[in-house]
Amino acid sequence: MTSGTITDGPALRDPHTPDSRIGHGPDYLHAEHTLRSWFFTTDHKRIALLYLASITAFFVIGAVTAGLVRLALVVPDGQVFTNDTYNKLFTIHGVVMVWFFLIPSIPATFGNFLIPLMIGARDLAFPKLNLASWYVFMTGAFFTLVSVVLGGVDTGWTFYTPLSTAFSNTWVVPALIGVTIVGFSSILTGLNFVVTIHTMRAPGMTWFRLPIFVWTHYATSLIFLLATPVITVALVLLIAERAFHIGVFDPAYGGDPVLFQHLFWFYSHPAVYIMVLPGMGVISEIVPAFAQKKLFGYRFVAYAAIGLASVTFFVWGHHMFVNGQSDLASVAFSVLSFAVAVPSAVKVYNWTATIHKGSLKLDTPMLYAMGYIGLFVLGGLTGLYLATLAINQHVHATYFVVAHFHYIMVGGTVLAFLGGLHFWWPKFTGRMYIEAWGRISAVLIFIGFNVTFFPQFILGYLGMPRRYHVYPAEFQFLNILSSAGSTILAVGYIFPMIYLVYAIWFGKRAPANPWDARGLEWTVASPPPAHNFLTEPQAPKVPYDYPIQARETGRQHS
Amino acid sequence: MNPTDLALRLWPPAASATAVETDWLILAFTVLTLLLTVPVFVAITWFAIRYRQGEPADRSHGTIRSVLIEISWMLIPFLLTLIFFVWGARLFFISKQAPGDAMVIEAIGRQWMWKFQHPTGQSEINDLHLPIGQPIKIRMISQDVIHNLYFPVFRMQMATLPDRYTEMWFKPDRTGTYRLYCSEYCGTDHSRMDGTLTLMTQADYAAWLQNAGAQQGGQAGAGRAIYESYACGTCHDPGAKVRAPSLAGLYGREVRLADGRIVTADEAYLRDKILNPNRQKLAADYKQVMPAFRNVIPTDDLDRLVAYLKSGRATAQQEASP
Amino acid sequence: MSGGTSVGVRLASHFATVEQQKHAAVLGMWAWLLTELLLFAGLFLTALILRLTHPEAVQAAARHLKFWIGAVNTVVLIGSSLTMSGAIQLSRLGWQRGMVRFMLATAALGTLFLALKGYEYYADYHEHMMPFLSDRPYALTDSPPSRLFVNLYYVATGLHGLHLLTGIAILLAMTRQASRPGFLAAHQNRIEIFGLYWHFIDLIWIVAFPTLYVLNR
Repeated sequence: MTSGTITDGPALRDPHTPDSRIGHGPDYLHAEHTLRSWFFTTDHKRIALLYLASITAFFVIGAVTAGLVRLALVVPDGQVFTNDTYNKLFTIHGVVMVWFFLIPSIPATFGNFLIPLMIGARDLAFPKLNLASWYVFMTGAFFTLVSVVLGGVDTGWTFYTPLSTAFSNTWVVPALIGVTIVGFSSILTGLNFVVTIHTMRAPGMTWFRLPIFVWTHYATSLIFLLATPVITVALVLLIAERAFHIGVFDPAYGGDPVLFQHLFWFYSHPAVYIMVLPGMGVISEIVPAFAQKKLFGYRFVAYAAIGLASVTFFVWGHHMFVNGQSDLASVAFSVLSFAVAVPSAVKVYNWTATIHKGSLKLDTPMLYAMGYIGLFVLGGLTGLYLATLAINQHVHATYFVVAHFHYIMVGGTVLAFLGGLHFWWPKFTGRMYIEAWGRISAVLIFIGFNVTFFPQFILGYLGMPRRYHVYPAEFQFLNILSSAGSTILAVGYIFPMIYLVYAIWFGKRAPANPWDARGLEWTVASPPPAHNFLTEPQAPKVPYDYPIQARETGRQHS
Repeated sequence: MNPTDLALRLWPPAASATAVETDWLILAFTVLTLLLTVPVFVAITWFAIRYRQGEPADRSHGTIRSVLIEISWMLIPFLLTLIFFVWGARLFFISKQAPGDAMVIEAIGRQWMWKFQHPTGQSEINDLHLPIGQPIKIRMISQDVIHNLYFPVFRMQMATLPDRYTEMWFKPDRTGTYRLYCSEYCGTDHSRMDGTLTLMTQADYAAWLQNAGAQQGGQAGAGRAIYESYACGTCHDPGAKVRAPSLAGLYGREVRLADGRIVTADEAYLRDKILNPNRQKLAADYKQVMPAFRNVIPTDDLDRLVAYLKSGRATAQQEASP
Repeated sequence: MSGGTSVGVRLASHFATVEQQKHAAVLGMWAWLLTELLLFAGLFLTALILRLTHPEAVQAAARHLKFWIGAVNTVVLIGSSLTMSGAIQLSRLGWQRGMVRFMLATAALGTLFLALKGYEYYADYHEHMMPFLSDRPYALTDSPPSRLFVNLYYVATGLHGLHLLTGIAILLAMTRQASRPGFLAAHQNRIEIFGLYWHFIDLIWIVAFPTLYVLNR
């Protein structure tokens, strides 16, 4: 192993690793077969699949609890569960969905798999650290599952003190430990991405030749690095407060319960963009590929990602307009929250302009992308309603907020996740899924989602508070409508789990580039070889070099 | 009218001018939203049909790409939405400045009930009766976790925090029966921490007060009873055996502390001194003998006691006593 | 004496050049230190805010902190940074055995810091200055905010101690590797990268000492 003792001179290689420039190895799925080769792999592609399996499991837990919550809300008098059970159900739904699905969803799976391929690298900069971050994630997951198995938590995913520190009688500490640990997994992933994007780009792959997917992941990673430590401190203090009554959040000792909310939202608002930005990256890949047209306004879209990641650090106070925050602070947070909508709007208009005069194929990923644009726009604009101080005084903590963030989280992140999953599934597995099933479930999810969540905007404006198990009877009709929609949504989620898994064994073999898309990941075989590139990757001179381009005469194509 | 009369309602009732204006605000905002989004949705759908692969569409003279377009669709919608920021902020500031003649209702949130006290001393649990045509200010505090008092009919809510007072005000202008809620998740029976808001004419309200009049004499009157029950007078009355500062006329006066600072005996000072007399706020020339009443005196009793000390009555009654 | 063995870095298979590999490692460590800095900054900021809002209580609590132990510990850690720098210099020259000695000296100083810190905690325990222990009444019961300050002191110094302990463990493990010949020829940059982390722990203490001990006296 040590034959390659090297000075700073030209690189010699460890003879045991096949050189991608020389050898023709098997693809990464078949390079090795043992269980050990999966659980101790340092291949970013295999780690991505480990993450994909884990977050899918968590998505199922989160979705089942959501289904139970919707079931409970069919009747207004809370007869399905006890109040405590209901509170635990929505807490588990929130904790699992936010920290164990949405935050790692796109970065840890697609980001892990695709960033090295897109920039022409053999792996992430720190492959062992990448594996370690999955184990850290699973350790955190273990603690959270322990708390759920022992009897659950009932604080809500926001863990507001003093409820969480002094009044709740549930398993708060294991849940908090789990969430704290998962934060380290995010930090390690973000660190790996930042270093990889900075140092591992193939020769000729300049910053402005990078796909937008890489740009948005770079912005996301910055948020991981800069915001996560703050939630770590906040949660550590919260654990200490609950276990030892140290007093930081207790007014009896000169502490302040609202301080926790500041620390919490200083992370958790940027965390919204941890969930949203990678989704924007996915959409920015899908839309040009299925319009066969160069992405409109590439630089603006790239800068918008960085802009979002920056401004998002200054808007956390809009979660606390009615929590006794000073009025001037509220006004400042309000106007900054309006400003944060600007880069989002840039992206939406540029995607629309990309479709204009393209040559559209309405395949499954594109259907998801179009659904995404519609739902994200609604979610974003209702966010502006919430940023308007006078409206916020009314709809704060009502179902309006619930509807708003589900339009962003489900309409945004989950749809982008599913779109990306269908877009890159052939690359991940080397197989094609059945297109018709894909289209059916995309349409089902879009319809089911809107039936589930649109009534909640109305419920919220009517004044139904969130996290209510027992609610006034006049809200029952809209709640039943919402619950009915969730069953359609559930069917839409179950279909892909079946036909995508089916495709792994029985699907048609996928060509290297089934969508005729641009980008380095499509220049390698499907599935990619174990070391990604058999020949030195050639960076394209322009990103998104599709046949149709703005301000050029359209060329003929098939 | 019972709030559950309607099986399906699509717009909430409004019972104050602010609430009506908030409705106009959100409606106007929705119009702008539609102006901004409908073109995008129509465009996407239209492009998807018009430019589908295989459709013989003109794809030449592709979209003109210019910085001007980018800047304009960045700035114009932003500036338009800023109108609503200003409108919303203006309404918000109005809702923060209670008129001086507002009637003050004390509210206390605790797991899982609301307690309201009228200025005349009557108190209610979970239900609240208010007169219309009169500004009403609610001063509130929590006894345990954070709650949030929410009146959809006024389009208004405010958190109640432990150990800190918060306020909101509104001017009801329509009678009827409406709902109030706790909107900040507060534990097991959060969803049962709701109640009924009854808005009535001034005359009806006066009559209601008569009938409901449990504790006459108001906050301060009730406070006198608290003063007695905690035996504050044993030390603080003039002529008491234990030498403690007289509380007569203390409120609003300047007090010299043992460490030389001079502070004004405001409400926060009174509360602090009762809950925790040892907090470096010992008055000059006195020894530290008073026990702390934190976790001893309930918040509503404390409120009444402070109201009593604030009222002139403490002075009069103490001077009358031997 | 092993003056001037070859110095270098063995290329990991996924990097194209050694330069790229070294750049990645340095950038990675800096990014990690940035997150660490934010972690501690939150705690120090809370301590400073507390000082502003409750000056007397914080002073009362700070009077119980062992200023001289803190001061000696500051000197000890600065000394350990010096020996670490020495180890880095020697590693660049390829003097592997000298480097190992300096690394051991660094680990020893780090351990001395922890021992002094442990003694300080012990003294605090005796003085009933551990308000989070429910079976040991707190000395300054009449000043609740001081309790909070003392608790923050334990969180901050405990977290710092944990970092130092991790640092010593990594250092000893690396010393073991470096005691075999050929270490510097393949892994010289590990010393450089670890040096960054060690200096960072030192730096955190240099901020913690005035924030907790000095400013409040």
